[in-house]
Amino acid sequence: MSLNVDSADVAFTFKGGMLPMTVMELASADPEHIRRQLAGKLSQAPAFFQHTPVVLSVEKLDEPHLALERICAVCRDHKLLPVAVRGGSEPIRQSAWALGLGWFPPVEEGRARILESVSERTNDAVDPAATEVVEERAADAPVALSETTRLYRGTVRSGQQVSAAEGDLVVIGAVNAGAEVLAAGSIHVYGALRGRALAGIHGNAQAGIYCRELEAELISVAGTYKRLEDIDPKLLGVPVEVHFVKEQLEIKPLA
Amino acid sequence: MAKIIVVTSGKGGVGKTTSAAAISTGLALRGKKTVVIDFDVGLRNLDLIMGCERRVVYDLVNVIQGEAGLNQALIRDKRVENLFILPASQTRDKDALTKEGVAEVLEKLKAEFDFILCDSPAGIERGAQLAMYFADEAIVVTNPEVSSVRDSDRILGLLSSKTQRAEQGQDPIKEHLLITRYNPQRVTTGDMLTLEDIREILAVNLLGLIPESEAVLRASNQGVPVTHDGASDAGQAYADTVARLLGEEIPLRFHEMQRKGLLSRMFGGNRR
Repeated sequence: MSLNVDSADVAFTFKGGMLPMTVMELASADPEHIRRQLAGKLSQAPAFFQHTPVVLSVEKLDEPHLALERICAVCRDHKLLPVAVRGGSEPIRQSAWALGLGWFPPVEEGRARILESVSERTNDAVDPAATEVVEERAADAPVALSETTRLYRGTVRSGQQVSAAEGDLVVIGAVNAGAEVLAAGSIHVYGALRGRALAGIHGNAQAGIYCRELEAELISVAGTYKRLEDIDPKLLGVPVEVHFVKEQLEIKPLA
Repeated sequence: MAKIIVVTSGKGGVGKTTSAAAISTGLALRGKKTVVIDFDVGLRNLDLIMGCERRVVYDLVNVIQGEAGLNQALIRDKRVENLFILPASQTRDKDALTKEGVAEVLEKLKAEFDFILCDSPAGIERGAQLAMYFADEAIVVTNPEVSSVRDSDRILGLLSSKTQRAEQGQDPIKEHLLITRYNPQRVTTGDMLTLEDIREILAVNLLGLIPESEAVLRASNQGVPVTHDGASDAGQAYADTVARLLGEEIPLRFHEMQRKGLLSRMFGGNRR
């Protein structure tokens, strides 16, 4: 995964990663309107506004020009750090770059599903009432899990994709080469895992992957991944659990 | 009511057409009125394997486009009673097939036949999808080789999602696995996947196992389905396959290396 050649002379390494990111979807282009709403949110959930990085999504706005600098200033006043802009016209993209922000293309059709639920979650996070619900669920995990867990019976075949957008995914059967299983939470495969398994797709680093037989093409937890080639051959073909520990994936045989 | 069976695989060259020809011949030999349809429009082969290439006048596309009647296009097999071939067009492409047209042809055939075998083209595009769309059962042909197994896996996924039975929420298509070109010796030396490997990955009921055999190549080139060669291992294996398709319990043969006994050493093996 790292591109370094001589480890003694390395200043940095590039690593692929998916980080949890709050998307602030703007429904208004008026900085003062945004300021009023932010002020209200700040008093309700001060814990959320801790220099939180946000991506400003302007896809729902139909404006070719935007007072982007003022909107960013309003955000910073409320301890939100805009790091990038998503969508919008060419002038908006240019002004994002001029302000030192990144720019993301608008959400494509195919990816919309996943990203939609990401933004749903972040909306929840901003809404203090919803935040409490999440905490309640954490305290009462078994009940909350069963509500969002998806159970799939049978073989997940090459070319098929099975996902649990909100919770865990349990597969009673094998996941074959060329198949893909995804979950916001953990992935449990009661069979051989030969395809790709991506747990914690919204950034939940606590998620894990459990399988009866590891032969996976790729395993990923919260965006950190290992390919089949990176996996210690001793761990192949045996029951294992995979977790995100100390910034990397740890694969352990299931005792 | 006729049963519609698709013979499919995803990968090309694994023995779909050979198997469709051999199984339809076997069914007819067992007294079942059978028609085998070539869905490989543009790359027509079934007529060659069935030895009727000189008698093709009209084809499936002509029938679908209303240029010929169904009975004009059906070719009666010369060797077995009750067996008919509906050839593909060699000059058109697969876009000439329409879902409605195929449905209409199958509906008419259903009234007259016990079994309708659809010989699917390779790939997962239009021709293959139309061949499987109306099926009641599927025979997935697989070679003991990783790419063939993966493609079969893909096809099994499509059978459970892109077919009429799946879309209308009826009972799922009954899936059968047919392993062809199995060579026990090369399995033992590790050149080929084992029977158990394939069954474990695909998790489908095994309908038959056809050994790699010279008889198959000879049959193809002569245009005589290998089922007629009752003395050959492949011919017997296809006969077993047909019996299992008809619900009989037949033990598996030809999957283990044959130990040469004294007699076979003296008189030569029964492999031809």
